[in-house]
Amino acid sequence: MTTTVQRRFPNQKPEALYTPEIAKITRAENLTQQDRFLEIELPGGKELGHKPGQFVQVSIFGFGEAPISISSSPAKRGRFELCVRRMGGLTGKLHAFEAGDEVGIRGPLGNGFPMEELQGADCLIVAGGIGMAPLRSVVQSILAEREKYGRLMLLYGNRSPADILFKDELAEWGKDDRNQVLVTIDSPAEGWTGNVGVVTTLFQQIQLDSKRPTVAAVVGPPVMYRFVYAELAALHLPDSRIYFSLERRMKCGVGKCGNCQIEGKYCCVDGPVFTGEEIRQFHESI
Amino acid sequence: MQRAAVFSESGLQELLGRVCEKTRLMAPVRRGKTSFEFQWISNPREVQSSYVRTVLSPKKAFMPPRETILDFTRGPNQGASPHLEQEPFVLFGIHPCDLTAVNQLDWAMGQRHGVEDPSYLARRAAATIVALDCLPDEYCFCTSVGSCHTRKGADVFLTPVETGFYAEALTDKGAKLLEGAARREPTAGEEAEAKAFPDEKERRTTTKIKAGMAELPDLLEPSYHSAVFENTALRCYSCGTCTNVCPTCFCFDVDDEVNLPLTMGTRWRKYDSCQFLDFAVVAGGHNFRRERKDRVRHRWFRKFVYLLREHGMPFCVGCGRCSQACTAGISLVDVLNSVLAEAREGVAR
Repeated sequence: MTTTVQRRFPNQKPEALYTPEIAKITRAENLTQQDRFLEIELPGGKELGHKPGQFVQVSIFGFGEAPISISSSPAKRGRFELCVRRMGGLTGKLHAFEAGDEVGIRGPLGNGFPMEELQGADCLIVAGGIGMAPLRSVVQSILAEREKYGRLMLLYGNRSPADILFKDELAEWGKDDRNQVLVTIDSPAEGWTGNVGVVTTLFQQIQLDSKRPTVAAVVGPPVMYRFVYAELAALHLPDSRIYFSLERRMKCGVGKCGNCQIEGKYCCVDGPVFTGEEIRQFHESI
Repeated sequence: MQRAAVFSESGLQELLGRVCEKTRLMAPVRRGKTSFEFQWISNPREVQSSYVRTVLSPKKAFMPPRETILDFTRGPNQGASPHLEQEPFVLFGIHPCDLTAVNQLDWAMGQRHGVEDPSYLARRAAATIVALDCLPDEYCFCTSVGSCHTRKGADVFLTPVETGFYAEALTDKGAKLLEGAARREPTAGEEAEAKAFPDEKERRTTTKIKAGMAELPDLLEPSYHSAVFENTALRCYSCGTCTNVCPTCFCFDVDDEVNLPLTMGTRWRKYDSCQFLDFAVVAGGHNFRRERKDRVRHRWFRKFVYLLREHGMPFCVGCGRCSQACTAGISLVDVLNSVLAEAREGVAR
């Protein structure tokens, strides 16, 4: 066997590939009925060292492991944040976890968004539901170095007003006139005065700048991508400037177990972020 | 490196006996009238050195159908540690096709994506491999996939000859294994016999894929929507037998198990299958390979398009296990040749 492996995790002992580190929850609160916010600290306050769009595998011993997007910016030091939607056994269990409780963490995993491609460009962020969690990391990174980026256009779709994540932050982001924050809900609701309709209905409210490139970052439920892709194509956004983060059921998270295959690619190592060019070549991606 | 030697049947028995005394031995044994299985050996007389194929492949020596990958403790001092099997063993009697599969897995589990699977590599490093050449039956097609004459990965290579086995130590590990065993120098006749064996093997392998491996990805890719996959899906039960018996399939599922007082437990993995409906399920129950034809196509494309393109070799070694074991009698070669014929006629798409 050769020993000339270009190692993906050079700082990790090879035998520890599947071994989570025990990390402490330092803050926990419910954002909505189905989404719980967790702030997490690695042993010794070690930095996670992630990129926006990457994920971690969260373990509860005896319950298993699940991939969860990192929803804080790398600009936040010492701790990172997750937003966990209650889906099944493990995520349901995580909803009972409080500050002071411990979880297992492996990561950061996946490729993440290429923030350098967004720099100097107008950023069109399209979020559907829990897709806001990884995109919050993107938005926060843009805001942390605001002058490096052009306009920020955030289009965010939800089923109902009660499902909207990070409401305070959305309001805060919208105060800066370089940012355009547009939120919609799928069907009318009492007390809601904002836009009604799926996320694609927000596209008529934005205007791309012909003098500056626009780069799109999109995360949402599988059903959303085809429709958003059509809108982006109608805006003449080239495929090379479209980034979709795809959700698959990663088990190992490191390109071995095969559960997240998209044809010849592995979502966990080749993704989860793919360009429009890659997406077009796939039959099974969106 | 030592020169070749000849072992008689009884000489080989004696050698395996010595191996058994010193270390663990995995080798083929007879299970039913016509079926064989790789098993941990306590009695070397059980070992079968003449067999065509085993039901499960010797992959299980390095990646058992179910294995523990982590041991963990729960509660206030929770933590986990990798579970590694490092006890040395000898894997005896694997055929060149299966040896090729070991090489494929060494890449898939060992280097691919810049990540080394610790459980696989621990077992792999603990192994000494004695390969054994063979003659085909009607399911074998090793000559089509380039696995017919593989020696890489073997520590000792045995070729059957009239008088016993013509043995070549290919590594220091292999030479050490043969040290002190009762053997003799080959006669000129035995040399000639061993040398002619690969040609005889090729001559007898009549089942063939009707395309070269290098051209397969480009030939198959336009057949993504081929009716052959749809027709195959009508017969397929999605039982996953094909992937379970495959020496190169390596997808797995992971889950936890705890002891009764809930204080400790294990994280284990077991073979998974792309043929199962829930394998490709994503959030909200969406499934990009919901239709059986999609899963059927995925198996052929994975082996002969995706991984062939990525690694330069097909993830099929021509062992014939899947075709022989298939509940519905689906032949991997027949399906592939049908798709190829259709692609060449230009009726696909």
